[in-house]
Amino acid sequence: MVITFAVLAVIGLAWLLRPTGDGDTPARIAAVTANRLPAHRQDWGRAMAAELTQVSGRARRWQFAAGLLRVMLFPPPRHPARVLAAALGGLLAAVGATAAAAAEVPSLAVFAAILGLLLGGYATVAASRSHRLRPTVPRVAVGAVALAGVAAAVAAVVRIAVAYPAATTDRTHVFSVLFALALTGCLALAFGPVRHAGPADTAGPADTVLWWALAGALASGAGWAAVAVTTPVTADGTTSLLWPAGAAATLAVSAGAAATTRSRLSGVQAGLLTAVLGALTRFALDLTAILQVHHYALRSAYDIAGYAHSGYPSVASYVLSDEVAGDILGGLVLYPIALLVVAFLGAAAGAGLRQLAVRRTSA
Amino acid sequence: MTRVRRPSAQTMAVLQALAERPDEWRYGYDLCTELGIQAGSMYPILMRLADRGLLETGWETERVPGRPARHLYRLTGAGRAYASAAAAAAPATSPAPTTVPAPATVPRRSRLQGT
Repeated sequence: MVITFAVLAVIGLAWLLRPTGDGDTPARIAAVTANRLPAHRQDWGRAMAAELTQVSGRARRWQFAAGLLRVMLFPPPRHPARVLAAALGGLLAAVGATAAAAAEVPSLAVFAAILGLLLGGYATVAASRSHRLRPTVPRVAVGAVALAGVAAAVAAVVRIAVAYPAATTDRTHVFSVLFALALTGCLALAFGPVRHAGPADTAGPADTVLWWALAGALASGAGWAAVAVTTPVTADGTTSLLWPAGAAATLAVSAGAAATTRSRLSGVQAGLLTAVLGALTRFALDLTAILQVHHYALRSAYDIAGYAHSGYPSVASYVLSDEVAGDILGGLVLYPIALLVVAFLGAAAGAGLRQLAVRRTSA
Repeated sequence: MTRVRRPSAQTMAVLQALAERPDEWRYGYDLCTELGIQAGSMYPILMRLADRGLLETGWETERVPGRPARHLYRLTGAGRAYASAAAAAAPATSPAPTTVPAPATVPRRSRLQGT
């Protein structure tokens, strides 16, 4: 998820810096900034973008655009008390979660602390930007699925930590940080606003994106659950062969959303949401299934050699530690990145098919 | 006596600049260059002042070909009162506006009391 955001940032930067006839890069930054401010600050965004036309000189224009970016990232809150309350609440929740984890599952204390701080930080940012999204049915459903997915993912890791504490011991804390960042990213995507670049006359484009994402995530999740239940459990996991199913769901969703909303951006968002919600389901299913294995064995010469010097108290904790780390890195980081590419392709295909259909109709 | 919570030095500078010519509409970038404040600091200050009812905002009504309409700012009556009260409450070392007219009435008085 971390790398997914990095990839998105690089793509966004490349898009901003692309040569076009719409003015220089500071002007494009100002235009983007104006659109990305919270709804109650949109007028200010237009004011700042208009003011850039008076700024001459390359360095001054860049300086002014950098200032606008700063305002976009940290707009002054309309209700500072609400932001302070969110920050304090998040801090208290983080302290409580860390204390509870330290008492019950000490190997996950660092993860609990980081997750608590990240979620508190996200709540603070959301409060400062006054996100007050209309609670439509698909928005609530997507949020509920994301929360359930995060809860299931955390519960699966906690179950492993309780049964085999050494399996979740993370001496470098790298995987604790990655896991917490991935879960926070999932929730931020699920609860964040849906951007729409399509025509204004399209009815409910944000809801359409959410419906598509929900359908894709539920379909792939149900398919994976069926396979997980019907397939004999091995220590290699049950869902490793289901990547094509996730890719197919993402492709279909991004193409369908792009075609129905007439917006490539909406298609990518729907595909990414499907991938992210599906990643949580896949992660929880895989670890839950692996925990059902009654006998863990070292299957390769590499593992046999590695286990001897690993310091793990049992083969089970060694195997499960490997699975947890692999699922965090592969399932929650690499999997969404791969499917993000698929979402771009699907959205392009959907938008292209739509244009083709429109041309044929008008011809 | 009305107690005024002391604003930041940059906010004070913006208030004083606007209070010097209270009837005149000002541009954001002009304020930036006049006071040496970056846009990233200036606009949040203007937003907060507007949120508190101290700043009046508007768009240019005359269309100038080749560029979009610009946003304009000036202090409201409450803003002028706040600026003079804040300047009076400032330490002697701080520069104070010289031509701030004392408003006869203070609208939205409760907002100015910081309570």
